[in-house]
Amino acid sequence: MDKQIGAGAGAADGAGPNRKPRAQGTGSSSNGDGLDSPTGSHVEWCKQLIAATLSSQMTHSAPADPNRENRVSKRLPYRNLPALRYGAQLKMSQNEVPLLPGENVHITVKDVMYICPFSGLVNGTLTITDYKLYFIGVEQESPFILDVNLGAISRLETISVPNQGENTKGLELVCKDMRSPRFAYKTEENHPDVVKVLSQHTYPLTHSMPLFAFLYKEQFPVDGWKVYDATAEYKRQGLPNESWTISKINSSYELCDTYPSVLVIPTNISDEDIRRVAVFRAKHRIPVLSWIHPETQATIVRCSQPLVGPSDRRCKEDERFLQIIMDANAQSHKLTVFDARQSSVADTNKAKDGGYESESFYTNVDLNFLEIPNIHVMRESLRKVKDVVYPTIDEAHWHSAIDQTHWLEYIKLLLAGAVKVADKLESGKTSVVVHCSDGWDRTSQLTSLAMLMLDSHYRTIQGFQVLVEKEWISFGHKFSSRVGHGEDNHSSSERSPLFVQFMDCVWQMTRQFPAAFEFNELFLITVLDHLYSCLFGTFLYNSEQERTAQEVQTKTISLWSYINSQPEDFTNPFFVDYEHHVLYPLVSSRHLELWTAYYARWNPRMRPQVPVHQTLKELLFVRAELQRRLEELQKEAAAHSLSSSSEHSPSHTGTPLHSAV
Amino acid sequence: MEHIRTPKVEQVRLMDRFSNKSTNGTLYLTATHLIFVESSINSSTAAQEIWILHHHIASVEKLSLTTTGCPLVLQCRNFRVVRFVLPKERDCHDIYSSLLRLLRPVSYEELYAFSYNPQQNDQQREEGWQLIDLRAEYERMGVPCDQWQLTDVNRDFKVCETYPRDLYVPITASKPIIVGSSKFRSKGRFPVLTYFYQERKAAVCRCSQPLSGFSARCLEDESMLQAISKANHNSRFVYVMDTRPKLNALANRAAGKGYENEDNYSNIRFQFVGIENIHVMRSSLQKLLEVIGTRSPTMSDYLVGLESCGWLRHIKAVLDAAVFLAQAVTLEGASVLVHCSDGWDRTAQVCALGSLLMDPYYRTIKGFMVLIEKDWISFGHKFADRCDQLDGDPKEVSPIFTQFLECVWQLSEQFPQAFEFSEWFLLQIHEHVHSCQYGNFLGNNERQREELQLKERTHSLWASLLGEKHNYLNPFYNPAYNVEHPVLEPSTLPYHFKFWRNMYHQFDRSMHPRQSILKTILTLKDKSAKAESTLQALENRLCQLGVTPVVTSDPAAPPPSRDQRSNPKALPPRPNSLILGAPVNHKEEQRRVEEQDDEVGEEALENTDTERTVEGSSGTESRKQSYDELEGTYNELAKEEPAVVSLEFGVARMTC
Repeated sequence: MDKQIGAGAGAADGAGPNRKPRAQGTGSSSNGDGLDSPTGSHVEWCKQLIAATLSSQMTHSAPADPNRENRVSKRLPYRNLPALRYGAQLKMSQNEVPLLPGENVHITVKDVMYICPFSGLVNGTLTITDYKLYFIGVEQESPFILDVNLGAISRLETISVPNQGENTKGLELVCKDMRSPRFAYKTEENHPDVVKVLSQHTYPLTHSMPLFAFLYKEQFPVDGWKVYDATAEYKRQGLPNESWTISKINSSYELCDTYPSVLVIPTNISDEDIRRVAVFRAKHRIPVLSWIHPETQATIVRCSQPLVGPSDRRCKEDERFLQIIMDANAQSHKLTVFDARQSSVADTNKAKDGGYESESFYTNVDLNFLEIPNIHVMRESLRKVKDVVYPTIDEAHWHSAIDQTHWLEYIKLLLAGAVKVADKLESGKTSVVVHCSDGWDRTSQLTSLAMLMLDSHYRTIQGFQVLVEKEWISFGHKFSSRVGHGEDNHSSSERSPLFVQFMDCVWQMTRQFPAAFEFNELFLITVLDHLYSCLFGTFLYNSEQERTAQEVQTKTISLWSYINSQPEDFTNPFFVDYEHHVLYPLVSSRHLELWTAYYARWNPRMRPQVPVHQTLKELLFVRAELQRRLEELQKEAAAHSLSSSSEHSPSHTGTPLHSAV
Repeated sequence: MEHIRTPKVEQVRLMDRFSNKSTNGTLYLTATHLIFVESSINSSTAAQEIWILHHHIASVEKLSLTTTGCPLVLQCRNFRVVRFVLPKERDCHDIYSSLLRLLRPVSYEELYAFSYNPQQNDQQREEGWQLIDLRAEYERMGVPCDQWQLTDVNRDFKVCETYPRDLYVPITASKPIIVGSSKFRSKGRFPVLTYFYQERKAAVCRCSQPLSGFSARCLEDESMLQAISKANHNSRFVYVMDTRPKLNALANRAAGKGYENEDNYSNIRFQFVGIENIHVMRSSLQKLLEVIGTRSPTMSDYLVGLESCGWLRHIKAVLDAAVFLAQAVTLEGASVLVHCSDGWDRTAQVCALGSLLMDPYYRTIKGFMVLIEKDWISFGHKFADRCDQLDGDPKEVSPIFTQFLECVWQLSEQFPQAFEFSEWFLLQIHEHVHSCQYGNFLGNNERQREELQLKERTHSLWASLLGEKHNYLNPFYNPAYNVEHPVLEPSTLPYHFKFWRNMYHQFDRSMHPRQSILKTILTLKDKSAKAESTLQALENRLCQLGVTPVVTSDPAAPPPSRDQRSNPKALPPRPNSLILGAPVNHKEEQRRVEEQDDEVGEEALENTDTERTVEGSSGTESRKQSYDELEGTYNELAKEEPAVVSLEFGVARMTC
């Protein structure tokens, strides 16, 4: 997405201020419905959408501009480019494709038609690099630009294009990010096949080539790999303490190959016992601490399902392990196990050698099923969401179409589950164990959401990065399998948008608590875009072990480098640190809505919301100015040995304006 | 007072609508209000009071006796739903039968407006009524001009008794043409000017349906449209918008009414828009209220219910029509004639919204009052019938005006910077359309209002609203935005139409958002203003002491600090409360667990104590057991503003 801003900005820059002549010609004075004007590309829309979200770019105090079209194009280069100072694409001249450091053009094809679902065919040039597909319309004045990074492409599909001559082929790029652009191109004998080149670079792993993240050569002033240090994070939580220790038992990934090297486990348990527990838990994912309550010492513990099997196997060490976890929290004599699965599915798993903790074997354990369906159901649900929002929206049946996808229903289940977990800790002062089957999908969703509710640190930009690094990346959510980075296996049943779903839940929370999160919507969308892009190493591979083996940290760049080099663009101006506040979102149907700014952003009729952030920014500026003058005057007053009896002394609060209340 | 048998009932419980919580208190019945006063838990906190104006009560229902008492359910026109449980059935019955009589006044004189006295003298009252001057408004638009004139044809309400006295028609429309045309139009409502788009000299006119039947013609009516067309040199034709669905218009033909035949009228372009009639709208709102009244709907119930009630679809239809109107006028420069059946419901909606889209003036507080006064009040939207002011025909009741206000709200959501007023202004107007506290909306048309001598006997709402204008300002309003975007072009994609929670759940505290950006901005503005005055005071003091302050007045303004992270002072102040309009109550700061909402004082921010605060409801079963012990907390927190009149909760009190 950010890439596209860069690209679009570059293009606008070259075209100068007199763009979009056609839209003016029709008398449509607005940047109106894209479907009316053939040049109203949805890329333009998306750029505006993001520009709108990027509150810092928008100025409304600009004097009245009689020509609104010009303003849009002016705004993009002059406001956007300096904004995203880092990671923007470079472009030498007007007709060149903007490139990232390390990016190379592989094929350029002229006379390609983009089949716009709204305005018909657009003739232009298609360029394929090792990172993206770039289409630019032939129109000189305001070229249509479509920029799709190859990582976002799920599958390439041949489509029929009637009435375009015999040697014309059609191609549809079905994307992971909810769009499907279509092209028509002419095949000629002596030309290399576009689809072949495209497929090669879209699926580098399938063709034994490196992912683009390993070729990317950008320099960022901040090193995002330093954001997460497991030991430092546990130290922040007050660990180790008398009950919990930071263990090196998995330092070479021998105990569990999908767990991180640093684990927090109870102090008084022997390595021998731990190994027995590991054998009793699916994929050896033993119960380990994720978060500890700063006051009650109640903990969130995560693991995989116990291998109980149809014969009700028991493991004394595992039972004792849970007992120790319970005992570590003196406030409660109970332990609550949240099994994220549907109880019927858990039973099925039991028959297949999996299972769940029996309350009769594990004393003082409460077992709750959260009834959340599995990854396959979620995949199907999001696929339906795509059908609802792209490329056309059925106006008469919008709500029922949303209902049919069940997406919001699952968001509701997930949020409600996380609230239960958080509430158990906060109000019930009871430690909880969360697991699903393998403990890397729904478990990650639940623990990270609960932690977001409980701990204000995770609601800051850096804290959120730590949360993702910790609960998702280090604990082995299988990003590579779930997303399918660089692999031609679009039909794989391993794929599922679990992380997207998590981010949606975060967005729902930011809607309900607009001042509690340091990051803005652009941050969430950017993270999701780079979940697919393969530009950064952050989300590559399935586990910490694989990442270490591939030397991801030395050979690729972290997404957080990019974000933390320019945090102002991802900052929510309304943020007030609600430290020590536990936030429970309302999970009733009335309070959840579809995240159209993300899911429907490629719909050409999507219109950016007029930003209100600017109002706040101006107010903050005025306030800072007032404050500065106030302090100066007070200094002066003090210098003239006037007793600063005024109660507006800034020293004790740092914000004298508060005391005016 | 003769209808009140039991003026006071003690030990009444007020049940929360969406949970099992309740509040104990005393119920008082007065001549104008039903008042519930919470029995104080401790003397230090002011008791919660709920004032319900009798006119606001749409229906009252007595349910059968239960073990805990006798439930009495009131549905109000401002969408408040309250459920009392009275200990004795006899008291319940007394209150019930008194209310039944009190909430159905039979004559205008019984309405609250005639007894309401805000302690103003006659001169103030008169000035209040003079605030809005429609002649001045037409002058602002640029009429009379060389093509349009003021006609006195309806000076005595002879030609059309539901129209105002002052009407604007094309210069070329002579009296015989007007009179002839009015005879050919339902209820005599002939085409007249309602908005003039000066830039393109295009006019928005309104009328009722023609009495065309299957083949009738009227030469005067045809000349009337011709005159409208000729008054605009920009366009060769006039759009005629029939806001009804085609089927309804066809059905009307059988009754001797109908629509314009393009063959008979030269230079018209006829267009159906398809807004449903008042009966469809009434039942749609009814269904909406049922859907949102469900206590814990599943996602499916809610989404499917929202769609099948059709409310948002109707809102979209109205806005679509207004967008069409605004585009025809501003882009094509064509004049438009709008009508429906009688030209006082859908026509009023479409004309008013179209003008609002075209003219930034109507997006200001004063301008919006003018717009309502012009397109709704003066042109005879039947407020008395539609809002059920007197005991009348229930089939005439319909939320047409509510729908208009909602359309405006939906627009303000899409264009937050374009409106001078915030949603509380719309809510307050809605409140008073039904309160019958002010004279503005009483009666069905101007003639009736004159007969009632409203200007002499009642007060004007506009004066009262302007008096507290600061409460209704939209902090995001930016006049420069309107200069840049004089014409609004809203998107009418379905996902832009949202459920208006603050209207339909205004009184359901648990439905309110946890945090509000509006609130943050308002707090910030407030604090800045305070800081400014402190600054002023300090400067003055220094001046008095003969010290010249360092020149700081106008530093080269650096751009607003980008890097907020390095500058903690740039963080916005924490609003006194996260809940819209909730009162600051420092007593509640110490509360460890706040069940429904929270009140966090500044201290929480400034202290570095590690006290943890819970926000929002867990909404889980697991907390059920703790409800009882928290009940006291909840009740106290759920309190409506006791001392200060806050915007949303002050509404009830302002009607006292």
